[in-house]
Amino acid sequence: MIKASKLSVSLGAGQAVRDVSLLVRPGDRIGVVGESGCGKTMLGLAMIGMTPAAAKVSGSLRLDNAEMVGADEKSWQVQRARRVAMVFQEPMAALNPIKRVGDTVMEPLIIHMGLSRAQARECALSLFEEVGIPDPEARFRQFPHEISGGQRQRVLIALALTCDPGLLIADEPTTALDANVALRITELLARLARDRTMALLFISHDLAAVARSTEDMLVMYGGDIVERGKTAAVLSDPRHPYTQGLLSARPRPENVRETDGRRKRLPTIPGAVPPLADLPAGCRFAGRCPVEMSQCATVRPAEREGTICHQLEAAT
Amino acid sequence: MTLLAVENVTKRYRLPRRALLKPPAVLTAVDAASFTLERGQTLGIVGESGSGKSTLARMVMAFEKPDAGRVLFEGNDLAALSPNTLRSLRPHFQLVFQDPYGSLNPRRTVGWSIAEPLRATGQAERHRVSEALDQVGLRPADAEKYPHEFSGGQRQRVAIARAIVTRPSLLVADEAVSALDMSVQAQILNLLMDLQDELGLAILFISHDLSVVGSICDSIIVMKHGKIVEYGAAEQIMRAPEKGYTRSLMTAAGLI
Ligand SMILES: Nc1ncnc2c1ncn2[C@@H]1O[C@H](COP(=O)(O)OP(=O)(O)O)[C@@H](O)[C@H]1O
Ligand SMILES: Nc1ncnc2c1ncn2[C@@H]1O[C@H](COP(=O)(O)OP(=O)(O)O)[C@@H](O)[C@H]1O
Ligand SMILES: [Mg+2]
Ligand SMILES: [Mg+2]
Repeated sequence: MIKASKLSVSLGAGQAVRDVSLLVRPGDRIGVVGESGCGKTMLGLAMIGMTPAAAKVSGSLRLDNAEMVGADEKSWQVQRARRVAMVFQEPMAALNPIKRVGDTVMEPLIIHMGLSRAQARECALSLFEEVGIPDPEARFRQFPHEISGGQRQRVLIALALTCDPGLLIADEPTTALDANVALRITELLARLARDRTMALLFISHDLAAVARSTEDMLVMYGGDIVERGKTAAVLSDPRHPYTQGLLSARPRPENVRETDGRRKRLPTIPGAVPPLADLPAGCRFAGRCPVEMSQCATVRPAEREGTICHQLEAAT
Repeated sequence: MTLLAVENVTKRYRLPRRALLKPPAVLTAVDAASFTLERGQTLGIVGESGSGKSTLARMVMAFEKPDAGRVLFEGNDLAALSPNTLRSLRPHFQLVFQDPYGSLNPRRTVGWSIAEPLRATGQAERHRVSEALDQVGLRPADAEKYPHEFSGGQRQRVAIARAIVTRPSLLVADEAVSALDMSVQAQILNLLMDLQDELGLAILFISHDLSVVGSICDSIIVMKHGKIVEYGAAEQIMRAPEKGYTRSLMTAAGLI
C-alpha cells in the first residue's frame, strides 16, 4: 500500500506538486490527466524517488510502512528494485541502443534479484511472453532500433516488471505511438494490473485510453489534484470547471455544423498553463476559469467531495 | 477549376539490399491514389503510421515526384513544370509540420522564419509578417522573439503564420496538431477553421486521429498500406464506416 499525504515537490520557481494526498492499494488502476506542465510527471517521479536534483520533496510518502520523504538514494534503490517501477513516453530514449533487448531485461534480474544467467534468461523470456512480444527467443537477440515502437514499449514494460512491482507508473506510455498500437499497450497495462494485482498509475492526456484502462482518476492542474473520483463518473459528470473545460475540448465528430451550415468551433480553455512562478496562490485555475469569483486567485479552496473549487464549495 | 487533383499517384521506394546478389526489395508507399480538393474545402487523410500519408503530402508539395500518375495544382502538372514555374507557384501551396520546433530556426527570430517563404519569392516582407502574426492570434511584436520563448501551441501558431504569409490557396497540415495537448489542439483547430473562413483556404489535413479529422473535415480519405481504402463525405464515413479498418481507427480514437 502506498500513501502520499500532503506530498509536495518544489522547484526553485514554485511548486510543481502541491499537497497531494493519495492512497494506492494493490490492484488499483488510477488514471492521471491534465495539460502539459500540470505536474503529472513530477508526481510520478516523486513516487519513485527520481525527482531532479534541484527539487525539494516535502510532506509524506509511505511505501508500505517505510517513510520515503527524506530517504536516501540507497533506500530508494531498494524500493525501486522491489516495489515501484516507471515506464516513460519515449521507449527509444530509455533503452541502451547498443545492448540486445534480452540482455537489458536480464540485467536487473541478475543484479537485483540474484538470479543466475540461466534463471534470468528463463524469467526474462516469460516476461516477454507475458507482455505479448511474439517470438520472444528471436526478439531477445535484437537491438532496440531493430524493433517497432510498440514492441520497444513492451520491452520497457517487461523491464519494469522484473522487480515484480506493487506499483507501476506509466507516464504517457502511448503518446509516441500510433492509435492502434497505443490501444493495445493500454489494454496490456490494464491486463497486467489485473492479473498481478499490481497497482497502476496511468498518466496520459488520452482520455479515451484512461476511460478504457482505469477505475479511478485524478485530474491535475498546476500541481493540485483538482478533481478525483471513479473514472466513469468523472468523465460522464465532471464537476471542476477545469475538468469540464478539458473534456469539452475533445474533438467530437458529431453535430459539427451550426444551423447556418458554418462549422462549429471547439470549446476551448482560454490561455495556457502558466509557468510555476506565475501560478496563483489560491486556486491554481484562477485566471483561466470561466466561473471565477473574487477570492479564487488568493484563497485556497478546501477539498470537498473529491474536488477543490470555491464555486462548488459555495454550492454545497 | 479544381484546386488540387491527384490522379493515380504511385510512389515506390527501394529498400536496402538484404543480400548482395538479390534484387533490392521495393516498397510501394503510395499506390494509385486519386482524389480532388476544391477551394475552401478541407480534406482529411487518416491511416496508421506507415500508411503513406506523409509520402502523399510530399508529392502534393512537389518535394518528390510520383513514379506514376499526376498531381495537378490549378491544372498544372507539378512534376512537369520547369523549376522557375514551380518556384513561382510554390507560394500558393504551403506546409505545416507536426514539430514546429524542428522546422523553426532556433537561432533566428520567428519574424525571420515567417518571412522565409516571402524572401524565396522576393516579395516585400515587414507588414506581411505582422499581418500573418495577427491572423494567427499573436502580436506583431512577437516577430522579435526566438522560438524557445514560445509554448508548444504558440510555436504551432508561428508555423501556421509562416505557411499563410504568402497567402496560399492550399495548406497541407501533416500531423500539425498531433503533438499538442487536447486543450491547445482545440485552439489550433479553431484557428485553422477561422483562417479557412477568412482566407478561403483549402486544407489537406493529415492525422492518425479520426476524432480530429471527423471534427473539421468535409471529406475523408482512409489510407492503409499506401492504398485509399475509403473515401467520401466526412459525415457519411463517421456515421457509417464501410471498412473494418476504418472502424478500428474509430475504436482507437475512442469513438466506438
Ligand atoms: N527539471 C525541472 N526544473 C524546473 N522545473 C521543472 C523541471 N521539470 C519540470 N518542471 C516544471 O514543473 C512543472 C510540472 O512539470 P511536469 O511534471 O513535467 O508536468 P506534466 O508531466 O504534467 O506535463 C512545469 O511547470 C515544468 O515546467
Ligand atoms: N524516403 C523513403 N525511403 C524509403 N522508404 C520510405 C521513405 N519515405 C517513406 N517510406 C516508407 O513508406 C511508407 C509510408 O510512409 P509515410 O508516408 O511516412 O507514412 P505515414 O505518414 O502514413 O506514417 C512507410 O513504410 C515508410 O517506411
Ligand atoms: Mg509529463
Ligand atoms: Mg507521417
